[in-house]
Amino acid sequence: MVSGCMKDDELWKHRPVPVAQGYDGLFIVCEGNFMYDNASVSYYDIHHNKVYNDVFYQTNALPLGDVAQSAVIRDSLAYIVVNNSGKIVVMNTRTFRYEGKIQGLVSPRYIHFLDSHKAYVSDLYARSLAVIDPITMEITGQISVKTPENYSYQHPTEQMVQYENRVYVTCWSFDNQVLVIDASADAVIDSIEVVKQPSSLACDRYGKIWVLSDGGIAGSPYGQESPGLTRIDALSAVIEDTFRFDPGDKLLELKLNGTGDTLYFIHSDVYRVAVRGDFQPEVFIQRNRRNFPSGGFYALGVDPVTSEVYVADAIDYVQRGWVYRYTAAGILRDTFQVGINPGTFCFKPKL
Amino acid sequence: MRRMLLSFVVVILPLLVNAQFANGTAVDLQPVEIIASRNFLPEEAGMKTSRVDTLIIMDKINLSLSELLAENTPVFIKNNGRGALSTASFRGTSAAHTQVLWNGIPVNTPMAGMVDFSLVPVYVIDAVELKHGASGIADYSGGFGGVIQINNFVDWNQRPEVKYLQGLGSFGTHNEYLSVKAGTATFRSHTRLYHTYSCNDFPFINRKIGIIDSITGAIINPSDTNHNADYRIAGVLQEFYMKAGKHDIVSLRYWGQGAQRAIPRITSYEGPEGVGQSRQQDIDHKGVMEWNHYGSVSLLRVRTGISHKTLNYSLVNTIAGTGAYPAVSSHSFVKSLFNGLYYSRSLPKGFKLKGAFDWNIHQVVTEDTVTKTGYSKLRHEQSLFLSAYKSFAGRLNLNFMTRLERVDGKLLPVIPFVGFDYRVLPEQTLLIKGHIARNYHQPTLNDLFWVPGGNPDLRPEHGIAGELGMEMAWASGDVKLHLEGSAFYNDITDWIIWLPDFKGYWEPQNIARVVSKGVELSFSGSLLLGSVGINTVANYAFTRAINYGDPVAWGDDAYGKQLAFIPRHSGNAMFKVTFRSFSVTYQHNSFSERYTTSSNDRIQRDWLYPYFMNDLLLGKRFVFPRFSIDAEVKIYNLFNETYHTVLFTPMPKRNYLLQIMITL
Repeated sequence: MVSGCMKDDELWKHRPVPVAQGYDGLFIVCEGNFMYDNASVSYYDIHHNKVYNDVFYQTNALPLGDVAQSAVIRDSLAYIVVNNSGKIVVMNTRTFRYEGKIQGLVSPRYIHFLDSHKAYVSDLYARSLAVIDPITMEITGQISVKTPENYSYQHPTEQMVQYENRVYVTCWSFDNQVLVIDASADAVIDSIEVVKQPSSLACDRYGKIWVLSDGGIAGSPYGQESPGLTRIDALSAVIEDTFRFDPGDKLLELKLNGTGDTLYFIHSDVYRVAVRGDFQPEVFIQRNRRNFPSGGFYALGVDPVTSEVYVADAIDYVQRGWVYRYTAAGILRDTFQVGINPGTFCFKPKL
Repeated sequence: MRRMLLSFVVVILPLLVNAQFANGTAVDLQPVEIIASRNFLPEEAGMKTSRVDTLIIMDKINLSLSELLAENTPVFIKNNGRGALSTASFRGTSAAHTQVLWNGIPVNTPMAGMVDFSLVPVYVIDAVELKHGASGIADYSGGFGGVIQINNFVDWNQRPEVKYLQGLGSFGTHNEYLSVKAGTATFRSHTRLYHTYSCNDFPFINRKIGIIDSITGAIINPSDTNHNADYRIAGVLQEFYMKAGKHDIVSLRYWGQGAQRAIPRITSYEGPEGVGQSRQQDIDHKGVMEWNHYGSVSLLRVRTGISHKTLNYSLVNTIAGTGAYPAVSSHSFVKSLFNGLYYSRSLPKGFKLKGAFDWNIHQVVTEDTVTKTGYSKLRHEQSLFLSAYKSFAGRLNLNFMTRLERVDGKLLPVIPFVGFDYRVLPEQTLLIKGHIARNYHQPTLNDLFWVPGGNPDLRPEHGIAGELGMEMAWASGDVKLHLEGSAFYNDITDWIIWLPDFKGYWEPQNIARVVSKGVELSFSGSLLLGSVGINTVANYAFTRAINYGDPVAWGDDAYGKQLAFIPRHSGNAMFKVTFRSFSVTYQHNSFSERYTTSSNDRIQRDWLYPYFMNDLLLGKRFVFPRFSIDAEVKIYNLFNETYHTVLFTPMPKRNYLLQIMITL
């Protein structure tokens, strides 16, 4: 007869991560699986090629939450947006200590800083963007994005970029709009129709906003079209060009290099293309599985200082993923294993 | 053979039910003659078949089938929380690989292919029979793990009887059950009404929320309550049986049930209070009509059944200042028509033949009214079953079965089964048994058409299965023992598994190969020492369910690893002592650690540690001239453990149920 043997307490023992402090590095935010509460943060020492996994949980004996969608580092703090936990977890990037949380968010996706006291948080279901004060960790306002003509529909806001006083926001799930927000009035002032399901966007050094759309989901009544890249003039908010891909192609993760003149994106392989001149993307990193529709790559990051490229492979999405580190010339430099579904690269600036 | 079959259906099964009320102890329930005959039937040669004791079914009448199976069979049940979805993994296979039949008609929906065992209350069950592995081909195809039959039967000789059960338990739980049996020697009716409700608001320490102490800086985990987790199940089961002449029995059964349950938010959620309110409603109607004609050496059965299921799921976000908005509003309707014709005939010299033809039609309509996604499909399934059995001198039984199926006009490969039982010693129940078979499982309609994610290019799963085992039954005076052990091997190609996609939703894929193999052991025994009766049942399973799919990329570490959430070791034990009108039952259930990743990473945070659960039941029977009362106190989680069975889903600590059953 066995009694009292279950070892729940074993899960909550602190095991601080022995990391030397004070240097710049890379945080990899791993989404984990929906409803598993197994999101995690890995830290990669870019000088010594050493990775430390699960640093937040190991330091704090506190799970990060469910689906860590994105993160932004501001000064010494990392703001990790935990989508299905309705909060932003704030972590000290030097100590990995839990510093607090911004709670009360419906289904947060991304955070965009306007200044030290103001940031926008996009949201899948809230029918608004939240305006927050990152210092006090409180919600200070809302920007409505609901559509009055349709009761049950709203814009599911996603990624954001800023050009002067305007913030451009993609609306991804079953949508095709890029909203334009006046950051001083905290209000939507315009919207731009692009290719269906715009997910990521970037603003290049010449004031052009590039929007990557996956084209929608096959079989849905909303419809599916060929995925594409849309170029918008940020000043006039007018579409300049649309570059289409073949129907059914898998596109995701649009990134810029540090100088803002080269785009990188995943199109089964990792492609790159100059933002000026003829639009002729070239394969930069070849996919590692030929027979897999998406090529296997899941996330992309470009070091803003060195232009080194990091690409994540989530393997089968239910095991720990791998990260490949390439030089700016496309030569493999390192590989390391991180958490489940590595989805965001955050470069920690030298302070 | 006709006498054997008739005596089994008409006489022996009712005796199993009646015995406990007549005598109150389990030791009287299983005459040794029954064990001997049922263990050496030619039509069960090579098949591993196990049954849950009817006394245990009555002891656990307030539970669900998920708990009954987990505590009394080798089937591993993945329980997603108290009152939440429970699915079976039989011999390391997936939830859709266990076929469940209610009085011969499938309970598995053609949508997802699996059964939520938490929605099958023991109230509606008179008998549970498990056909392990490919043995289930005798009843249905596609059950790589096996087939579970839940059946109802009639007692022609019983006097009218009324039973009423009332249970009151922790966390606002109460159960009500009414059973009325009436009828004549040629017509019987059995009516059951039941209702279960639980507020399910147990307290727990929320380890997923951290509050920083403003003075010490320490991280504090707050006390929390399992909010929005209530569940309610109410239903009716009506049975009519009629003897139409000397050789014919006609039956009509209807089972209707409604279930409402809230699905609690993930406990790390710290968004607005009104957000993420999920509710699921399951409304089921099942009806089956059967005519059995017992000829002198034959049995003819005609069965027709219907099933109608409504499944509604909603996720509503109530946002301050704007109102309540559905994020998901899914409505699914499944209509099924089952038709079956069965014939068996005994021939001279120990031969027996069986044939069956089933024609099932399913219609599925599903839609999410928010995203406007869904599908509407019709599926026709025809199945031809032929078998031949031969007994050789009472020592060797051989069993050849084959099933030929057509799905939506497409003929599937033949499903054959060859099995044997060999009696080692004459007139003794010491058997060696084994089989080899092929099996086949069609993708479900959700696998093929669900939006988003459905994959119309999926290939059916198919595999070969083998099993070798030994069974022993022994009875002497007041001691009865039954011991069975078997080793099994399933090699399944194109295993279907749902995996997340890079777009954020899950979609099914074929894995090249999965092998599930292992050992099952079961033991039951009873002993009568004067007025003390001792009953025990124990099961153990060692299961290796290994992914031999092609690695998808460099770094893929899933090859050769155990499938997620399936334990290597699982077991249970029940030990019951009765003394006059008192009884004490100890129930233990345990399984080894499980992995949550395909690569079997042993990450501290994601570790599903070994599970050991202990329950205690105390009972007393009060007998009065015209009625009796059975009173029970049930103590669950006896040692007050903090635990979870899936990642971070809280489970209740020690809790109680007081139950009274009045029998008139």
